[in-house]
Amino acid sequence: MSEPALELCRVHAAYGGIEVLHGIDLVVPEGAVVALLGANGAGKSTAVKVAAGLLAPTAGSVRVAGHDVTGAAAHDLARIGVCTIPEGRGVFANLTVRENLWMATQVAGVTGGLSGVEATAFERFPLLGERRTQLAGTLSGGEQQMLALARALVTDPAVLLLDELSMGLAPIVVQRLYEIVAQVAREGISILVVEQFAQAVLGIADRAAIMVNGEITRAGPPSALGSELSSAYLGG
Amino acid sequence: MNDRMERLKADAAQITVSRKPSRDGLWQTLGAVAMGAGVVMAFVAYQLSLGKSDPRDISSLGILAVSMLALAVVGAAVFLRYSLARFLRFWLLRQLVEDQAHIDRLVTALHNGDGAPAADETLT
Repeated sequence: MSEPALELCRVHAAYGGIEVLHGIDLVVPEGAVVALLGANGAGKSTAVKVAAGLLAPTAGSVRVAGHDVTGAAAHDLARIGVCTIPEGRGVFANLTVRENLWMATQVAGVTGGLSGVEATAFERFPLLGERRTQLAGTLSGGEQQMLALARALVTDPAVLLLDELSMGLAPIVVQRLYEIVAQVAREGISILVVEQFAQAVLGIADRAAIMVNGEITRAGPPSALGSELSSAYLGG
Repeated sequence: MNDRMERLKADAAQITVSRKPSRDGLWQTLGAVAMGAGVVMAFVAYQLSLGKSDPRDISSLGILAVSMLALAVVGAAVFLRYSLARFLRFWLLRQLVEDQAHIDRLVTALHNGDGAPAADETLT
């Protein structure tokens, strides 16, 4: 059996003196889509930050392809192929679509030059090709999310961490984005998706985990989590 | 195991993790101590030189006083470097967030101004 692409083992994390994650275990198998679900404030984004190297855990370990990378810098993890699309997209609002993609070419190992990167990105996202000289900050939310995805994918990641892909977007836009995520997953990229809106992602996830108050209460195939989901969001 | 995983495994094995805690606080403290000690020692050396009559003793204490002033300057520079770095990181982050918020407001205002819907449109 191959090593998981990403693994959080008994991870504790805190902001200052306030512990937010209380010993979570999370596994993203190779080539799988794992959904991390939970209500607002459950600690999902904190788990992503730990996985991405943006927040050092206070205890526990982070493993990538079986190797302990706990405490590794975020830029080192990004360089080896652990790519994060943060909550809020993280595009450079005052740069054009082209310039945002150019930023991705500055990552070590990206070949093909800007023209090659553009060709790859616009083939997958034709809408971005039509807006290549438009400032990213003036794109719609869905287009910004596409740009964030395109920029991440040009680095040819092995692991993709998506934080709240659907935030602020219309349902039909979310559905289209998750179709793209499913397509990306079929190419062999291991994906961890953090979502508040479970229905949006359960259709494409291979596994799901429910997080409540900094702990993972249940993990398994999406079909097995039905009743637990409602209690996680509504309590009781 | 697909190619991506093989590459990821090889790259992850190469990654080096610094387990040492950040030394910014330590350097900040050392800088402050050097700054304070330098000023105090310079003043003490100067005061001692006032009680000396031998020009050689006066020169020696004068050199000591100037050296301690130099230590104070170096200490101040170290203190500023390590305290400002943290402040500037947060300042830059705040600038980015405020710029994004400003652009969001402008875009919303533009959309509302020409009658186009402000809500997110559908993808085609």
